[in-house]
Amino acid sequence: MNRKESTPGARRLTFAIFRYALAPALVAGALALTFFLQSVVSTAGFLFFYIAVVASAWFGGKWPGWIAVILGTLAVEYFFMPPIHSLRVNRESLPIFIEFAASAMVISWFSSWRRQAEAELRYARDELQLRVEERTADLKQTNQQLLEEMAERRRAEDAYYAAQAELARVTRMSAMGALAASISHEVNQPLAAVVTNADACMMWLASEPPNLEEARAAMECVAQQGTRASDIIRHIRAMFTKTTAERTKVQINDLISEVGVLTEGAASRNQVTLHTELATDLPTILGDRVQLQQVIVNLILNGIEAMSSVVDRPRRLVIRSQMQNSDEVLVAVRDSGVGISPNDEKRIFDAFYTTKSQGMGMGLSISQSIIEAHGGRLWASSNGDHGATVQFTLPAETRI
Amino acid sequence: MNSPDPIVFVVDDDAAVRDSVQRLIASVGMRVQTFGSTREFLTNKRPDAPACLVLDVRLPDASGLELQRDLAEANVRIPIIFITGHADVPMTVRAMKAGAVEFLTKPFRGQELLEAIQQAIARDRVAWNERAQMAELRSRYDSLTAREKEVLKLVASGLLNKQIGAELGTSELTVKTHRGRVMEKMQAESLADLVRMAEKLNPTSTNYK
Repeated sequence: MNRKESTPGARRLTFAIFRYALAPALVAGALALTFFLQSVVSTAGFLFFYIAVVASAWFGGKWPGWIAVILGTLAVEYFFMPPIHSLRVNRESLPIFIEFAASAMVISWFSSWRRQAEAELRYARDELQLRVEERTADLKQTNQQLLEEMAERRRAEDAYYAAQAELARVTRMSAMGALAASISHEVNQPLAAVVTNADACMMWLASEPPNLEEARAAMECVAQQGTRASDIIRHIRAMFTKTTAERTKVQINDLISEVGVLTEGAASRNQVTLHTELATDLPTILGDRVQLQQVIVNLILNGIEAMSSVVDRPRRLVIRSQMQNSDEVLVAVRDSGVGISPNDEKRIFDAFYTTKSQGMGMGLSISQSIIEAHGGRLWASSNGDHGATVQFTLPAETRI
Repeated sequence: MNSPDPIVFVVDDDAAVRDSVQRLIASVGMRVQTFGSTREFLTNKRPDAPACLVLDVRLPDASGLELQRDLAEANVRIPIIFITGHADVPMTVRAMKAGAVEFLTKPFRGQELLEAIQQAIARDRVAWNERAQMAELRSRYDSLTAREKEVLKLVASGLLNKQIGAELGTSELTVKTHRGRVMEKMQAESLADLVRMAEKLNPTSTNYK
């Protein structure tokens, strides 16, 4: 607290002294003014005394008001009621004296009552204001808590989605692992027979004299088992392509919009802004919605991931659709990420090739297979300034 | 002692693999016998010779690893070379800990398999020789009479002829005759040789039956 300011107790005392000193001062003032007026216009009345009473009661309160009434009555009686300069009241002036005294009392009472009412009102108003402020502060705090909870919830949701994505990846990986184990076992059987027969053949040829009959039988088996291995692989391919024969009319812009919604979360989590530049009046294409969606999702996620280390420029991903050669639709996904190094350029479409720490190296390879199965082409190039563009074409429905 | 020609047993459910392994082993002049399942292998009578087993891990009835365990429990100590189309680390560790000679992943080179087979056969030849010697010793011992067995036990425990005579309640001369016959039947060249044979027959106790 500031030292120069008086304490509340001292201030209250000063105010009390002021209040009680006010009444005699005002009555004295009224007296002086009445004398002055009387000297000018001979009869003056008691107007100034009433004012003194009202002002005392108003500014000083109830008791100063009463003091003003008593002092005023005494002054009027002493100075203006015959016999002048005496506290005695004679018969003729008694009604005027009573009238003044009664009026002063009523005025004082009324004035202090008004003041009291006003003070109460002011107190009530202050109280109300205080309560409003308290409530406002409460509301602000609650609001703050709510915002924090929302942020917390958002973080939890992000973590949940990340965990879900990780789970999906692990499930996919382990399913692929199991599948790979079973495929490798199936394929390795004939391969083992091929290699062992070839080695046996060489042994028979190297023996003295060479046993051509056994060598020939071994080579016969090599050919048979080679065919068997390729049959197994064809069988596996057939198993996978069987489930993907569904072709429907697809409006590529609709597909891009749907995928945009799906990938918005991933984009905002990585502070990437997605932009679409979609040409109107594009022809429809024939294709498998799910597979084509998968391709676009793949390209967008790749783009987002390529920008994860970018800090010196906006992370911007543009998905563009346009007509190409009058009978093809072209979709380009352009990022401002790290780009593709010349070393990687030739290999990024190879299966199992990846530059990511957690990648499988299947995304672009699968995407390319899907687009080629739809009669289109998929390729990637580095942008002039930053990042890379991966684009694909699909034949318009009318061309097929 | 000369052991008979070694033999390689091959257990694999894939006929093509089985035949190719047979052809490879035959090319180095070894005897081969192939089986399509563990049951077939267990129920067939196998020739008595130094041997090894080339065993696929994944088999229709009982897996190769189970067969390895069953053979060990039945005290059949045949060296095993595992071959598998898809090996994982725990599987390999388990097989090697249980005493497998080698664990080959298909496709393997012929030379790898042949080297493993050579190693396994060499290991089994030593064991086979020991088994054969033991069987020979046991048959010689079985040809002794009850009294001769008693004399052998007492000789091996280091007693003199006189002490043996007192123990059995016969004359020293009779003991000497018995002992000569024991030496002859056991084909022992010296007393030391005879004691060594007695120890081999039962290394922990001198109480022969």
